Amino acid sequence: MKLKAVIIEDEINARRELEFLLEETGKVNVLQKCGNALDGIRAINQSHPDVIFLDIQLPEISGFEMLSMIEITKLPRVVFVTAYDEFAIEAFENDAVDYLLKPVEKERLSKTIEKLNKLILGKTPQKLNIAPLKKIPSAGANKVKMVDIDTIQYVHSDETGVFFIDCDKKHFTELTLKVLEEKTKLFRCHKQYLVNLDKIDEVVFEENSAAKIQTNCKHLIPVSRHYLKELKEHLGI
Amino acid sequence: MNILINLFKEIAVFLVIAYLFSKTPAFKLLLTRKFSRNYFFTLYVIFSAVSIIGTYFGVPVEGAIANNRVIGAVIAGLIGGPTLGFSVGLTAGIHRYFIGGFTAVSCGLSTTVEGLLAGLVHFYFMKQEKNERIFDPDVVFLTTLVAEILQMIIIIAISRPIDRAIELVELIALPMIITNSFGATLIMSLFRDQRYNYDKIGSAYSKQALRIAKKILGVLSKGLSQSSAEKIANIILEETNVAAVAITDRENILAFVGVGDDHHKPGNQIASEYTREAIAENKIVFIDGSNGSYNCPLSGDCKLSTVLVVPMRVNEEVIGTIKLYELKNKFFLKINETLGEGIAELVANQLIAARYEYQKNMLTKSELNLIQAKINPHFLFNSINTIIAVSRWNADKARDLLMHLSNYFRKNLKRNANLSTIKEELDHVNSYLEIEKVRFQDHLKIFFDIDKTLLDVKIPTFTFQPIVENAIKHGVSKLLNNGEVRIKIFRNNGNLQIDIEDNGGLYVEKNDKSGLGIKIVDKRIKNLVGNDYGVNIHCESDTRTVATILLPGGGMN
Repeated sequence: MKLKAVIIEDEINARRELEFLLEETGKVNVLQKCGNALDGIRAINQSHPDVIFLDIQLPEISGFEMLSMIEITKLPRVVFVTAYDEFAIEAFENDAVDYLLKPVEKERLSKTIEKLNKLILGKTPQKLNIAPLKKIPSAGANKVKMVDIDTIQYVHSDETGVFFIDCDKKHFTELTLKVLEEKTKLFRCHKQYLVNLDKIDEVVFEENSAAKIQTNCKHLIPVSRHYLKELKEHLGI
Repeated sequence: MNILINLFKEIAVFLVIAYLFSKTPAFKLLLTRKFSRNYFFTLYVIFSAVSIIGTYFGVPVEGAIANNRVIGAVIAGLIGGPTLGFSVGLTAGIHRYFIGGFTAVSCGLSTTVEGLLAGLVHFYFMKQEKNERIFDPDVVFLTTLVAEILQMIIIIAISRPIDRAIELVELIALPMIITNSFGATLIMSLFRDQRYNYDKIGSAYSKQALRIAKKILGVLSKGLSQSSAEKIANIILEETNVAAVAITDRENILAFVGVGDDHHKPGNQIASEYTREAIAENKIVFIDGSNGSYNCPLSGDCKLSTVLVVPMRVNEEVIGTIKLYELKNKFFLKINETLGEGIAELVANQLIAARYEYQKNMLTKSELNLIQAKINPHFLFNSINTIIAVSRWNADKARDLLMHLSNYFRKNLKRNANLSTIKEELDHVNSYLEIEKVRFQDHLKIFFDIDKTLLDVKIPTFTFQPIVENAIKHGVSKLLNNGEVRIKIFRNNGNLQIDIEDNGGLYVEKNDKSGLGIKIVDKRIKNLVGNDYGVNIHCESDTRTVATILLPGGGMN
């Protein structure tokens, strides 16, 4: 069975060259090619590849940052591909499978694929050491804005998508609630809500043993029964 | 009446002695606050002698002596304090005792008391931190007045028979009190005036030194050369009025101005043994005829006879000398001797400052070389990777890109040229941009707006290359959507202006590598043409960044 791969690399020629080399081995099937991290996240969530070939220097969101924006269970094996090795140490701190230098040599690439096959067949668990997420990307019309976690009041999801809310504005993000719960300090208080504990002003208890949180910007957020106990523990009440 | 006149005559003699004393080196020490033990002893001897002379000069009156003994004791006390006053008073008092007479004891005792009294006055004003007051005429007059009245009281109290004592005091009290109070006051005033003169000379010296310092300032910015040495020698000559001034380095004469410049020529080797001695032993050599004579080694007719050679030291090492000469019949002013030493130190300090400036400029230059030599590895490997990819589908394009890459690196490595025309700079930038355009494809758009009449104007090499690279590396390559770079070269108010604008708006001023390139370009332009020119960055966050390079209208020609 061929390895399913996604290439995330901002230069079109470099993408094409890597695709060419991977297909040439006959052991890899390139499912998608992406030019930036947001497209990369989308591709990973859609096509569940076995491995991503990831450039580190990407526009707006770097390769390292992108890894923080993927749910741990959905994270494929990671091979970094970069032009210059000043990032090697950081890459291996992230427990990458491998680290390829551009231009990529055929023989070197075959070794990487051997290594990948062994890991995947042997179901060796991936122990990635990924940095916590400090900023959340908010996709606008033709721009990505990175918003600091500390300015966020709460996050909410509905059928139209995931939104995070600062004091007065609502932002759309492609990240899932699960990623945000895993990678940030935001606290799950409801199936559809995460709250920034630093912004809580009041907790109002209701009769059905649920509660409501009022934030310092007067936003009201529901707390479901299921999460109330843990919330109390966190707040020390 | 006779007594009064005689005593005044003697005061006149004391004044002459005091004047002569004020011209000796010993007097200068008197003006310092603390005396050494040796100097204290010298003063003791001088004042005791004066006091004893006062006894001898006295006018014999009724078996006693109307005298000026008190002046030595009082002045010693006022100037030197209780110990000196007491010692002098005691010495003169004992001397008086052995002369005898019915007032031997009382007069001997009273002189001691008077010296001690004046010493206590000194002590009082020192305690009050009002050292000046001991020269004050009122203070001196009163002190002596009181001392003499005291003496009269002691005479009446001790000398017997009492009628004789009273008779004597009636006779001598007024003349002695008046003459001695005036005398002591006059002598102290004379000392004060002499001291004021010394201070004035000192401040004239400081003023002159400052004036020279001001004039020398900047002359040495390019180090010590024949031309800068000549300028300095002329300044020194003008300010000190010596006959001639020379400046040498360790081997040669750099400058010689003034009398004798017909045979003392700059560029010649040092001929004088004294100069060589000053350099070799790192010491000041002063030859004024008394301690060896200066015989011009070059010409027998040379009118110069006195020479002061002061070594110039930079970091403890002698780098040359400054020489001041005087004519045979002229006295070498002490002030010029001191000044010569000061000037040598001043010149050396300026040289240190100049050397530091020079090293700073060298640093900028080497920093720039470093930036030039340091090929951006990301760019290199990404370019090669791109070309490898392109070669699979379009061999001509790949060849084209390789030519651009080679042109780019060749120019980057060409470090010897300081200036290039705008055309050459554009050619360099263009090679870089051609490769970047292939790497980023539709993501990167470049717009040129160039005044064609400026193409041959010369600007510092690598002036806008680092800035264009910066615009792409830290500007547009970080954008998800299309990046645009605009390069505009035009005349603005007689200046040459280059604007490099990108639509990233991501410039942040920090001390990372990207900022360094721009800083060095800026520093280099300022070093070459002054602080009115250089690089300015204007950033509208998330919208655009404009780097403006301002150069003189004619470029660097």
